[in-house]
Amino acid sequence: MIELENIEKTYFTGGIQTQVLKGISFHVAAGEYMAIMGPSGSGKTTLMNIIGCLDKPTGGNYRLEGINTVGLDDEPLAKVRNSKIGFVFQLFNLLQRTTAFKNVLLPLIYSEHFPQDAAKRAEKALAAVGLADRMHFRPNTLSGGEQQRVAIARALITNPSIILADEPTGNLDSQSGAELMGVFKNLHEQGRTIVVVTHDRSIAEQAQRVLLLKDGMISGQESSR
Amino acid sequence: MRGLIISLEGVHALRDRKLHTFFMMAGTVVGVAALIVIMAIGRGTERKVMKRVNNFGPRAMMLIAGGGKDLPPPDMTVTTLTLEDAEAVRAGVEGLEIVTPMAWKMYTPVKRETNQIRAVIWGVEPQWHQAYNWHTEIGEGISAEDVAALSRVCVIGKTVSEELFGGQNPVGGRIYLNKVALTVKGVLTEAGTSPGGGDFDNKVILPITTAMRRVLNVDYLGAVRIITSDASLMKQQTEQIRALISRRHHITPPEEDDFRIVSALVIAELARGISRTLYYMLLALAALSLLIGGVVMMNLLLISVNARVAEIGLRRALGASRGDIFIQFLTESLSVTLLGMLLGGLLGWAVCELLLYTAKISLILSWQQFAVALIFALLIGTFFGVQPARRAARLHPVEALR
Repeated sequence: MIELENIEKTYFTGGIQTQVLKGISFHVAAGEYMAIMGPSGSGKTTLMNIIGCLDKPTGGNYRLEGINTVGLDDEPLAKVRNSKIGFVFQLFNLLQRTTAFKNVLLPLIYSEHFPQDAAKRAEKALAAVGLADRMHFRPNTLSGGEQQRVAIARALITNPSIILADEPTGNLDSQSGAELMGVFKNLHEQGRTIVVVTHDRSIAEQAQRVLLLKDGMISGQESSR
Repeated sequence: MRGLIISLEGVHALRDRKLHTFFMMAGTVVGVAALIVIMAIGRGTERKVMKRVNNFGPRAMMLIAGGGKDLPPPDMTVTTLTLEDAEAVRAGVEGLEIVTPMAWKMYTPVKRETNQIRAVIWGVEPQWHQAYNWHTEIGEGISAEDVAALSRVCVIGKTVSEELFGGQNPVGGRIYLNKVALTVKGVLTEAGTSPGGGDFDNKVILPITTAMRRVLNVDYLGAVRIITSDASLMKQQTEQIRALISRRHHITPPEEDDFRIVSALVIAELARGISRTLYYMLLALAALSLLIGGVVMMNLLLISVNARVAEIGLRRALGASRGDIFIQFLTESLSVTLLGMLLGGLLGWAVCELLLYTAKISLILSWQQFAVALIFALLIGTFFGVQPARRAARLHPVEALR
């Protein structure tokens, strides 16, 4: 599903080169639940941006469901993000002025053909994360945990190949965090492919496999189960 | 379809930020309204000017007894304008088609049997009819023979005809002016009222010789009507006539002229009220307010883009391409512009109606003015809307999400 080969990322700022990723290779199989763990500065956010097609590597190859994403222009890349990737961010990133329902619908606006059953799909996605009764609430009237579940529903609505979560519990209290990880566990059991990026070992350990990242390189792998 | 849905996102953003939208649109509303109102006043004024000038005679000048700047009638106490002056103008200034002297007496008793009214008396030459393009409706006008023979005849205006003769045909009838009996030769066509409210048709026209020697007993003129053969020479000819008459009347500065010259140019200027320069300045000001409105809109949009970086990043992550973001923000600015155009158009129209009702300002509202104002506003809106949309589209998703 995900194949990274010798991925490098170098930033050039003010004539100074900073190599953030120094040749990273790994595969994620369909249906796998994987965590990428590392301290801050290890390059894990950069790696996530590349996996999420928000950024391009400066070296190496990245295939997502057989598509070589490195050579893609802005528009096809946006299409890949839209159809194959579901993002969950640390800060939830919901539009504050619109309801949970409309937030969930947002990715469909950018899909090639706005589906006829969009409303039904949004309802279903919200129900799947336990928010059927909160559909028409605005984000600021929801708790942090609920907001993040809205974000997950939004990630699910395009039926993506992978769910990509960046510190999804980073802004939640421990109970909400635990609940949220339960949602991920459920999704995994339904056969979703999930990649969680975190610095928190207790979060990472809930995945099947943990990739350890240090100084832009893979420093180890653990299988937690 | 996809583009349409993305465009709607731009419209929603406006609805969600009403105050912001209001300020973005204010300049366009005021600018469009101002442009429409000013253009309407401009056209109305031009029509008024045209009407007045055509009434006066587009190629006409009047050399009038008495100094100052007033329009006719002449100053009746000034006795220095003579037939010789008229002859000197005819001989000394080139490019004049008609130079025709007029004796002039303001409201004078005119009698018929037991009826008496007061009318303006003009002593004229036959050319007067051409000079004013004012002919008889019934009967005949003043002829050269009438002037040569000091005939006791007259031509009367419509008002005089109605007051003294009622429904009867006045031709052949007899009226008395200063105890001189005059036979009515004809009746002039109706001329209406002057801008000042005077009745043009309350008039008795007689041969200038009869007027000067038999009726009024004067050796001076009230005015000389002059028609140029080329309207573009009028300004220059006015100056030539002024110089000529000043010399003939031995006027040396700082002594003031004892005559004045009113031309179609003066009439146009008076009718216009505001000068053309002022009109164009106002027009430029209105256009400037549209331009400033555009700049304000652009800046507010840029602020909005900066405030919504996270939103843009999110949209990019969810699958928006650069083009999609560009469309959304351009739609936002175009919607503001279109809404501003609509409200500005309505406001402009309302102000015009209000001015028509209350101030009786002559203005002409036409679809062309709306078209000009709206096209101008659209160009400005598009021009200033592109920059913020480009800025939004250029944001790198990674930077925007940070």
